[in-house]
Amino acid sequence: MQHYPTNETVDAVVIGTGAGGAPLLARLARAGLKVVALEAGRHWNPARDFSTDERAQDKLFWNDERLSAGNDPLAFGANNSGVGVGGSTLHYTAYTPRAQPDDLRIRSEFGVGEDWPFGFDQIEPYYDEIEQFLGISGPSPYPWGPARQRAYALGPLPINGAGQLMERGCKKMGIRTSPAANAALSAGYYQEGVGHRPACANRGFCQAGCTTGAKASMDVTFIPLAIHHGAEIRPESFVTQLVRNSSGTIAEVVYVRNGQEERQRCRYVFLCAGTIETARLLLINGLANSSGQVGRNLMAHTALQIWGEFEEDVRPYKGIPGALISEDTHRPAGADFVGGYLLQSIGVMPVTYLSQMARGRGLWGQNLKRAASAYNHVAGINILGDCLPYEHNFLELSDEKDVRGLPKPRVYFSNGESEARMTAHADQIMRGIWAAAGARNVWAFPRNAHVIGTCRMGNNPEMAVVNAEGQSFDIPNLFISDNSTFPSALSVNPALTIMALSLRTADRFLDRKKRLEV
Amino acid sequence: MTLKSTTYPEGTVRALLSTNLVTEATRQVLTQRLTTPRQQPKFFSNDEFALLETICDRLIPQTDRPEHVPIANGIDHRLAENKSNGWRYDIMPADGDAFKLGLQGIEESALALFQRPFQQLSGAQQDEVLRAVQGKNAPGKTWDQLPADRFFEELLAEAVENYYSHPLAQEEIGYVGMADVPTWQRIGLDQLEDREPRPL
Ligand SMILES: Cc1cc2nc3c(=O)[nH]c(=O)nc-3n(C[C@H](O)[C@H](O)[C@H](O)COP(=O)(O)OP(=O)(O)OC[C@H]3O[C@@H](n4cnc5c(N)ncnc54)[C@H](O)[C@@H]3O)c2cc1C
Ligand code: SF4
Repeated sequence: MQHYPTNETVDAVVIGTGAGGAPLLARLARAGLKVVALEAGRHWNPARDFSTDERAQDKLFWNDERLSAGNDPLAFGANNSGVGVGGSTLHYTAYTPRAQPDDLRIRSEFGVGEDWPFGFDQIEPYYDEIEQFLGISGPSPYPWGPARQRAYALGPLPINGAGQLMERGCKKMGIRTSPAANAALSAGYYQEGVGHRPACANRGFCQAGCTTGAKASMDVTFIPLAIHHGAEIRPESFVTQLVRNSSGTIAEVVYVRNGQEERQRCRYVFLCAGTIETARLLLINGLANSSGQVGRNLMAHTALQIWGEFEEDVRPYKGIPGALISEDTHRPAGADFVGGYLLQSIGVMPVTYLSQMARGRGLWGQNLKRAASAYNHVAGINILGDCLPYEHNFLELSDEKDVRGLPKPRVYFSNGESEARMTAHADQIMRGIWAAAGARNVWAFPRNAHVIGTCRMGNNPEMAVVNAEGQSFDIPNLFISDNSTFPSALSVNPALTIMALSLRTADRFLDRKKRLEV
Repeated sequence: MTLKSTTYPEGTVRALLSTNLVTEATRQVLTQRLTTPRQQPKFFSNDEFALLETICDRLIPQTDRPEHVPIANGIDHRLAENKSNGWRYDIMPADGDAFKLGLQGIEESALALFQRPFQQLSGAQQDEVLRAVQGKNAPGKTWDQLPADRFFEELLAEAVENYYSHPLAQEEIGYVGMADVPTWQRIGLDQLEDREPRPL
């Protein structure tokens, strides 16, 4: 791997190597730019360093403490974000549906929320490119959304017990289902610049790290591609400051590595630290916030889970956990809420399931032991749905300091009327599916997932932090690429769209750079 | 209402750990957990720790097996290392303070309800105290400072995470997901591989 001296002024520093950072890192490197990625976490060797044990794999989660406030306080850590080369993709379930065109026009359609500053046509070519590059497995045709240019790179993955049960229940209810698009390989796959990755081993451990490389986390896809094209990855480098020169542009990035402060001089900065850390870093440094919007417009998908016990042996630790999907609830008839949601089956590892059950049902003593002994017979469905931005949902810096001496973020989150109605709608549908599939002891785990939107992108510098290309309105050589820029939550899992925006941001930047506009 | 039988044979995970169905990295962490004995507390005082152990025994009874999973040790260990799980309810004090206060509150509630320390109560009385804490109606001034229901939720979740991470507890629920080296091919409903335990 290439190494750049810190006193050399590199073309770009990319902060964070998750879904938003890794794709553009590879793109900039391919264009011949000198790029350095600073990543807070380690660069793991999954085959050697990962075990099939949830506790030991805690090391993949961003476990610096965050304070959760509001009526529906968000769970972070294992429920939210990752650390390490690859970011949260190290532990994502790898569901990779595309957004639908109307997801980007929530305000036009419903009169509330925000539209995206561009249309679906701007993202679609990148969806197509990424699906092929990552080797996404999925059905052709896919039943929802506009017709696709190309079929998924690979056929769908096999359906596990939870998926079969959801299929059975949905069929009786008249709800269409399909094997999901998932960024795990249903067959071996070779990519130039990356190498060979094997087919999924059905080990059901995607949310605690894939040991085989079958799952397209960034560390086995865009990161090796970036290294192939000359990028340097500098792991265990925690960024604390962005230092400006007299003209107001960022001249160097300060980070802590091995307990020592280091500085990297650079021409451009791409901030890709995730929704919480990107906003926190900007607030700590007092940067890019002339709009006052940094930390605001915070959204989190509605993500209710419904669990049931079945007569059949499910053994929910087997098979790709993200197996079956339905988007029939994308715009349900007669809905009394904004936007829509999708339905997905969920396989689950035991500690995750039982910890949620402890919180959600409050069972203990013999009741807990009885419910836990049904683990091999449980299956779940969850939704992911739109969430509106509200004045009352935001991130601020608290007075409490974390282990690094930085202020802990405090995150306020309360679902609004629309989210409550959507959740009630979904509760009824999912209970119906599980009843039709023969479930017993059905219970609901209320939650929100995926924190979105603290550095909104838009056309109006008073309402947004970055423009449609991801560029800060205040600091011309600062770009943001991660889940923080989404103007609306979308009714689908975010990672594929984050990656697509990442490539778009890189291409726009390179194009304008060529024309000497940035 | 129960399903078929969900009682599984003992020794399943322990037997798998010595085979090549488990990766070396997985074997190491699970063996270490299996062989870590109960230890003296580092974060809690001896009295606090004994109380916590009694509470954990009520939350997750472990009577039907000679070996005991040291649940409270896991909690003590985390707090001694000042580790976080990434978040905390804003209305709660720092984790260590919350635990110390919560234990004090449970003792206070026991005295108020039954005029005796928690550890001298019958199992049924202990459960009554814990139910009151969980239901946010336990007597005691401590609970003015500490939201009882959230404390109980955190305590229970952490106890459960510690317990069910342990190979012995995983044997109890018939979990053998760690034996993934040969990959899983029989993944549909009612499809089992030979190495998956059948209920008794
Ligand atoms: C359990 C779970 C399952 C999920 N499943 C899915 C799924 O099926 N499909 C889907 O689409 N999405 C899923 N997600 C969400 C998805 O993983 C995230 O939305 C996505 O990875 C976010 O990308 P990002 O670039 O915004 O941030 P991240 O991927 O989190 O990357 C941010 C990176 O920045 C680094 N960083 C932060 N601060 C600093 C700093 N100061 N200095 C240096 N580096 C820093 C972090 O270490 C991290 O590597 C899941 C999430 C979880 C928790
Ligand atoms: S189920 Fe497949 S993709 Fe997921 S962790 Fe296992 S091998 Fe990797």
